[in-house]
Amino acid sequence: MRPPGSVGAATTADAPLPSRRASGRWSSRLGQYAGFGPALVLFGLFFLVPLGLIVCYSFWQVIDYNVVHDWTIGNYRYFFSVPTYVSTLWATVWVAVLATALTLLIAFPFAYWLARYVPKRLQKILLVLVILPFWTSYLLRVYSWLTILGPRGAVNRFLEWTGATSKPVSFFLYDRPAVVLVLVYLYFPFAALTLYASLERFDWNQFRAAMDLGATPARAMWKILLPQVRPGMTTAVIFVFIPILGEYLTPQLVGGARGVMIGNLIVNFFQGAQYTRGAAAALLIAALIVLLLVIFRRSLEVEDVYGA
Amino acid sequence: MARDLDVVSPRGRVVRGALSVWAILIYAFLFAPIILLVVFSFNANRYGTFPITGWTGKWYSQVFHDYQIRDALTTTLQVALEVTLVSTIVGTAAAFPLVRSRLPFRSGIRIVMVLPIMIPGLLIGISLLVLLTSVFHWTLSPTTAVIGQSVYTTPFVMLLVAARLQGFDVSLERAASDLGANTVQRLRYVVLPLIAPAILAGALFAFTLSLDEFIITLFLIGSHNTLPIYIYTQVKFGITPEVNALASLLLAASLFLLALAVVLPGSIRRVARRVPRRAAASA
Repeated sequence: MRPPGSVGAATTADAPLPSRRASGRWSSRLGQYAGFGPALVLFGLFFLVPLGLIVCYSFWQVIDYNVVHDWTIGNYRYFFSVPTYVSTLWATVWVAVLATALTLLIAFPFAYWLARYVPKRLQKILLVLVILPFWTSYLLRVYSWLTILGPRGAVNRFLEWTGATSKPVSFFLYDRPAVVLVLVYLYFPFAALTLYASLERFDWNQFRAAMDLGATPARAMWKILLPQVRPGMTTAVIFVFIPILGEYLTPQLVGGARGVMIGNLIVNFFQGAQYTRGAAAALLIAALIVLLLVIFRRSLEVEDVYGA
Repeated sequence: MARDLDVVSPRGRVVRGALSVWAILIYAFLFAPIILLVVFSFNANRYGTFPITGWTGKWYSQVFHDYQIRDALTTTLQVALEVTLVSTIVGTAAAFPLVRSRLPFRSGIRIVMVLPIMIPGLLIGISLLVLLTSVFHWTLSPTTAVIGQSVYTTPFVMLLVAARLQGFDVSLERAASDLGANTVQRLRYVVLPLIAPAILAGALFAFTLSLDEFIITLFLIGSHNTLPIYIYTQVKFGITPEVNALASLLLAASLFLLALAVVLPGSIRRVARRVPRRAAASA
């Protein structure tokens, strides 16, 4: 398309190119940073500012239903002075630990099976089947357990029908075990996905080599497999443990009075207009989460988890 | 080879069999609650659970004739459309500098960007509630819910688009610029067509997430109802077959949108791949 000969074009094109490229880089760099503009407004004004406000609130006081900007750690002291709150905080951490451990324990053999014994073509489909429930409504997945557990739930009806019980037993609805069960159900896809992602990259020949050299299967697994999938496990732990810390709906719907977690406590504070105390409770959890995120920032492969 | 060995050794066969059974149990665990929910929505008895006393579609017709549900549906769709619009634009715009510019504090910025996904929705909802009502003195409305949901959905769009940009061959853009295209033309004719599938997938994900979002909406919607909020208020009084029917419909809608999000970008990519070829052929 260029009218001049190729030789001339090469010499003339060479001269203006650096300047054009330089200005292009300059403007495009400005343009590239401009892309952050809307996000800066959205995340700055409506995410970071409110979080900062919560931090401030947690150090302020409510006097006569008005928030007074006096700096104090009274809210935190109050939180730790009420035994119920402290025990709820510990119970929350405990439930999160237990649910995370159970989720991983259930998910690992599954991911192992999927990565090792299933033909490659089928793996994709079976994996999608695992993720499918995860992308449907969170509320509905919790709700669906209400039709199974509980005095009128499927489990009880089944027991009555088989004659195992004569009257409905409150089959562990409205208590901690129900909360843990539903949490395992909710977060299983996260764990399965991350564990599968790391197991899939594993070269099974290494395993065979270890056995050829005399290792037992258990030892080969411990020495060869586990160290290589540990990053995936860390990611799984983060993506299961952290969200559970802030759970509200599951304890609310299936936990009842005995399954209360810190999320419910926070909401109760805010519904009771105890903004500053609620903010302190919220900040305890937020601080814990941010701390964990900073510690494990290397393992934050969100793309892996959300299949992006 | 490794696979063959496993099959041959009896011990490997046992392990494999046990793991297969385990996997079947897992799928049962994952799908039983959802399948039961749908089954109960067609069950004739009024308790929304066992025993099954016959099949009926009347709970569905009740859902369609309930004006509260219709109101909630309108609000849900309105909010979801606005959230999709906001998060698609903001997320796509932010994906560019995230991938391309040499950012200082990269991991720090990454954490901030990912934080809305990781942090409990509860905290997003509550902190926005405090800001909007106590500081800005706004009244809660579907618009405030849109703001809250967008904070949560935008990172998803951003990650999807960023992933696509990462695999993007920059030499294509350089070639366009060598051929005299300015920034706008490069964006319009080279970059956007190539990342369009990711943007579309992001938009569909944002829509689905918004449709199902509960906790942020609970704090910010005010006196209005979205479908999840409506279901929540109903569930407080126990399970009913109408809620089962509504829940089944919502599940079906989510699954349909997800299927679209997976299938549509691929077919667009196929079409898009054909177009440049035609353009090249005509040139």
